[in-house]
Amino acid sequence: MGTISVDGVTRRLGSTTALRDVSFTVDSGEHVGLFGPNGAGKTSLMQLLSTLASPDDGRIRIDGDDVTPDATAVRAKLGVVSHRPMVYGTLTARENLRLHARLRTVDTARVERVLEDVNLRTHASTRVADFSHGMTKRLSIARAVLHDPTVLLLDEPYAGLDQRSAMDLQRILTRFDDRTVVIATHDLERAVDDCDRALVLVDGTLERTVSLTDRDRHSFETAYLEAVGRSELQ
Amino acid sequence: MTDSTPVSYWRTVFEVARKDLRIELRSKQVLNTAAVFALLVVIIFAFSFARTFANIDVVASGALWVAFVFAGTFSVSQSVAVEEADAGLDSLLLVPVDRSAIYVGKVVSNTAFTAAVAVITLGCIIVFLDFTVLPSTTPLLLLVIALAAFGFAATGVLIATITARARLSDLLLPLLLVPLVIPVLLAGVELTRAISEGLPLWRWFRLLLAYDGVLFLIGIALFEYVVER
Repeated sequence: MGTISVDGVTRRLGSTTALRDVSFTVDSGEHVGLFGPNGAGKTSLMQLLSTLASPDDGRIRIDGDDVTPDATAVRAKLGVVSHRPMVYGTLTARENLRLHARLRTVDTARVERVLEDVNLRTHASTRVADFSHGMTKRLSIARAVLHDPTVLLLDEPYAGLDQRSAMDLQRILTRFDDRTVVIATHDLERAVDDCDRALVLVDGTLERTVSLTDRDRHSFETAYLEAVGRSELQ
Repeated sequence: MTDSTPVSYWRTVFEVARKDLRIELRSKQVLNTAAVFALLVVIIFAFSFARTFANIDVVASGALWVAFVFAGTFSVSQSVAVEEADAGLDSLLLVPVDRSAIYVGKVVSNTAFTAAVAVITLGCIIVFLDFTVLPSTTPLLLLVIALAAFGFAATGVLIATITARARLSDLLLPLLLVPLVIPVLLAGVELTRAISEGLPLWRWFRLLLAYDGVLFLIGIALFEYVVER
């Protein structure tokens, strides 16, 4: 459950090729990080994996279901956290989650459990527009895991968070360690802690795959800088 | 992991419409703004045209449908802007159900908003323009408003979704939408006049029904492609 297969995927945006012949697989329960400089194709790849866009060439399968013709089946397995919150500011945290619980035929009692999981139980009746950035991000994670997905896709989950909020978020994410996770991030340090393997994208091409099982941040930084052709991290 | 039951198409329609209505009831952005605008239109019509036109029904009908088109455009524009603001639409697109259910839900909520503003406008017309609506013709007039609001929403939600991510989307929406809803406005004006004067209705009803049906089916067929990145 939760295997991902990306086979020769190309994605064009007008005259630009955002992804070029990208292939990789992710095993069930594996945590994979997508890295690369801005414009490398991370968000394009996340949109393809999450069925919000379709590849121009190649195929993406999740548990054997193709994301294009079998999109509905694939969506049932996915939990997606984007760099945008994907919640309604006018509604409260509880109303947002109850909406998604009803849309996905999930027992509404689970809403309270998930709010507890992301430490938002005491703010459940507050409108999301009044939330801090960190609280909104936690609610976004609650929405993503509400239906108990087998695959979590996290696009820049730490973006815009201060150190403490980022640490809180990282701690919350460890509760979902048993899922297959694909995380696109610039945060190399956290990714080394979170991920089993890193995929480095450069100009839409999968440049390098690096194992992170030894949690050696220094060797990963060296491999990353080599792949992106830079001498130091920015 | 939990095994969730398949998501029902009609449940999605209902939940999307209910969510839109809840957001509107809380923010009152569409109803307040459109109702004030409708009142202004009626007052302007009352002071400028009512004295020069012999037939007050023609002026009243014009005021009603001018207010309708502005209220409807504002309604669909706001409804789609709410979805774009924090990528709420993306969260709906990730629900494992045919995406046209989201479109149908938004058409339902926008029909309700536009029809509600039209009914408020009708009240203003009765007060300020001395427009007479007989109890026997009231259900027919409300039916015309509902059908026109549905046709407007069916076209408006699709066009507003297309233009939402464009530069100058606020300018593009009325430019593209108003020409497309001319049949709705023509039918609305003619049916309002025909109802008040006791003239035959079927010809314009047929146009309105055909327009609603065709545009709604086009919206259902195209929405999936319109929302794709």
